[in-house]
Amino acid sequence: MSPDAIPPPPQKPFVIQKARTRFFGLTLDETIRVFFGGNALTAVVVLALITFFLFREGSEFFGQNRESITLYRKAGLEYVDYMRAQQESHTALTRYLFDIRLRAFKQLTQDQGLPPAQANEQLADLDAFAGRYSDTIEPVRGFVSELTDVAVAIKEKYTVNRDAEKERAQFLAAGMTAEAAEVKTKAIDFKAELAPLVGVTPAYVEAANGVAAAIKEMLPSLPKLPASTSGFAERLERFQELNRQYLATFPETQKKLEAWDFQKPVPTLDTFTGFIFGKDWKTASFWQDWYGVVPLFVGSLMVSVIALFMAVPLGVGAAIYINQFASAREQRLVKPAIEFISAIPSVVLGFFGIAVLGQALRALSQIEALSWVPGFPFSERLNALTAGCLLALIAVPTIFTLAEDALNNVPRAFKEASFALGASRMQTILRIIVPASLSGIVSAILLGLGRVIGETMVVLLCAGNRIAIPDFTQGLTAFMQPVHTMTGIIAQEMGEVVRGEIHYRALFMVGLVLFFIALLINFLAQKIVRKYRVSIG
Amino acid sequence: MNTSSNLTTPKSANPYAHRPSRSQAIEKGVLSVFRAATYFILICGAIVFGDIVFKGVPTVVNSFKTTADFPYVTNTFLFTAPESLYVFDYDGKSREMGDQEFRAFRATEEAKATAAGMPVPAIKATSYVYSAGGIWPCIVGTVLLVIGSMTIALFLGVCSAVFLNEYAKDGPVVRFIRLAILNLAGVPSIVFGLFGFGLFVLAAPTVGTVPVGEIHLRLWPLNYYLNFGGWGVSLLSGWFTLAFMVLPVVITASEEALKAVPKGFREGSLALGATKWQTIRKNVVPYALPGILTSSILGIARVAGETAPIMFTAAYVVRDKLPWEVEKASDFFFQGVMALPYHIYVVSSKIPQNEYTARVQYGTAFVFLGLVALIATASIILRNNLRGRYKW
Repeated sequence: MSPDAIPPPPQKPFVIQKARTRFFGLTLDETIRVFFGGNALTAVVVLALITFFLFREGSEFFGQNRESITLYRKAGLEYVDYMRAQQESHTALTRYLFDIRLRAFKQLTQDQGLPPAQANEQLADLDAFAGRYSDTIEPVRGFVSELTDVAVAIKEKYTVNRDAEKERAQFLAAGMTAEAAEVKTKAIDFKAELAPLVGVTPAYVEAANGVAAAIKEMLPSLPKLPASTSGFAERLERFQELNRQYLATFPETQKKLEAWDFQKPVPTLDTFTGFIFGKDWKTASFWQDWYGVVPLFVGSLMVSVIALFMAVPLGVGAAIYINQFASAREQRLVKPAIEFISAIPSVVLGFFGIAVLGQALRALSQIEALSWVPGFPFSERLNALTAGCLLALIAVPTIFTLAEDALNNVPRAFKEASFALGASRMQTILRIIVPASLSGIVSAILLGLGRVIGETMVVLLCAGNRIAIPDFTQGLTAFMQPVHTMTGIIAQEMGEVVRGEIHYRALFMVGLVLFFIALLINFLAQKIVRKYRVSIG
Repeated sequence: MNTSSNLTTPKSANPYAHRPSRSQAIEKGVLSVFRAATYFILICGAIVFGDIVFKGVPTVVNSFKTTADFPYVTNTFLFTAPESLYVFDYDGKSREMGDQEFRAFRATEEAKATAAGMPVPAIKATSYVYSAGGIWPCIVGTVLLVIGSMTIALFLGVCSAVFLNEYAKDGPVVRFIRLAILNLAGVPSIVFGLFGFGLFVLAAPTVGTVPVGEIHLRLWPLNYYLNFGGWGVSLLSGWFTLAFMVLPVVITASEEALKAVPKGFREGSLALGATKWQTIRKNVVPYALPGILTSSILGIARVAGETAPIMFTAAYVVRDKLPWEVEKASDFFFQGVMALPYHIYVVSSKIPQNEYTARVQYGTAFVFLGLVALIATASIILRNNLRGRYKW
């Protein structure tokens, strides 16, 4: 203000004087607002932190897995596994043969009432053939068992050396040079070490060709089963076919063995695909650890499918009944009761499964009158079915509550218009109300799926915990086999792993997969509700 | 049914009597299917509940014992720690004893035998872990976990809901927050467990006088260091893990309760010159609080019932000391506890299923189920009452 300007009239002091407290330049009210806003951000922060920590602990998995696969190659384990694959296919074929024998024996003794001795006599030809057949692989087996030892020894040497190097690095980091110098390390010359392994290739190939020739020679002499049995012609034909397929793989294996190079680098992508599409989850083995999520994912999916198969009809049916048919009194009683079921802790349900349901289902499956049900009878008490049944009970309240809400939100006018046009009650419900609320029902089912797939204790206690992809070739029997799940494996193995090891990282990766599946399901549920909502008005 | 059949069948006395048509029959059939589905669910729930209650009640009821001092009665199942059970044959009788009792018994028998100059009797006993004694430490641990995590969750949840309902205007940030809350509700509990393990157990900040690890901050000018060594398997880790897990439930419940407070309450207060904060504090939150608390009880049931998140963050398989038996007060927060759901997992998966172990298995499941059911029932009843109470 320039000095010659007219001075402004003196301001009257404010009648109400109030000093405003300020924090960091904010008034009290603004501070409070910021404080509440900060709290509201927790949800965002937690979600971000979950992602970050799962990544932080899990991301190193790929590097470690690559290292592990590189060692697998360098130490010659991969090489031996080619041979082992050949041996194992042969073993599988032998098993197929024995399976045929077992069935034939059962038919002879049980269906035709022959005494076992006589049945054995009739099958003597087959036995002789099976014996000779299983012996053909012996030369290969010899190679495999010998080379297994060699490869394991190389791996062992490498591991010892790596540990020593680590120890030295630790000493150096701590500034103890004297101790560090004392730790002896010896770099491993893989080429020299592998020489005895690679050197046998010609001999092995020769042996394998011998096996192939022997099998080829034997096959025409495959004996026929006794005339009184039936239905084995196709099986024997299939056995022949499988053998032909098996023999066709021989040149390929030979090529693989000859082209094998221990120095071939492992592509980074392999470690990723090896995790996502890997069919083995093998840990703490003397040979090679594999971390493939497929068996776990399939297990999770199977129990979820069983659970939803039961829970969807029950939950949606109950929702329709309660919303459309039930009297007010029935509603008041049933709704809290179903909500109450949702409060049963999952670990209690799991315990119920172990103590009661598993045995009950097994006993049920062994009832003679029910043997037409696919998969019955089964012998495992804890399997995918047991877990699925209990998970259904967990999913039902979720599906029921949300589906009932969706039905409730259908405007009254829809119903009235339908009645006015002369539709019956059932027509109105099935053709008008259910389609109008379908988006809500579908999202209820999806949220039920999310609930089921993330459930831990029930599957940990009741699913049987066998890490293997069930055998789907026999149809629905697969659903009565024990499985392991993604949630279950984390809960079971997390307590036993060493922090920072590859196994620990792998479990976090499984957690990450689970996390993203959950987010995806949630996203889809919201999307469906929003996109396909029938507009009201 | 057609008219000709009406004419040819003279059975019905009243020719105008209602005859069920085909579609009506179908309708009835479908209706009964739906009804069957509903009651099938209820029956399944009742079977689970009934089985556990029926087999679990005797464990608790048979454990009442009289004592010499004040309450004169106690329950050995509810109020003692778990012990191993010893089953053995002695003097031609089969006996079952808890750990302490068995030691005392053996000592007296041996003393008797030596006094009588006989060889010391060899007692061959089969032992079953955790199958004798009670579950007192587990009950205590569960209660502590629930109290702590619900305190945190209620604080964060109510504040978030106040922001979302009172302050926030619809915009990208708020929508993003709502999306995050929705998604957080769908995250599997085991993932929360992993997250809690990665963050709270392994990497949470602690204050100490010595620096630990590669990353640490000095709290200048004090001679203290902020380390990131984590809290270990502890109550604190469990509290935060469970609190974050239950947060979406609490936020949704609180927001609903806040929404139920009529707009006039806020407007009246603001019109009288109160600030926003005064309005919220005096005229909104007090009326919403009963609703917030009752709806949050359902969250309590969830916190108490979850096992997966505490498996690697707070729960111990066995711990001899009770939580308050600590050397210094700060240790209280950094100790692991036994918890009922985890104990059920341990006794149902780690020990065999037989007549000796069933007592503890069913007893624990019953007590736990009873506790959770009580909380859930309270929530449902209170909510129904509340619906009728406030009318504005």
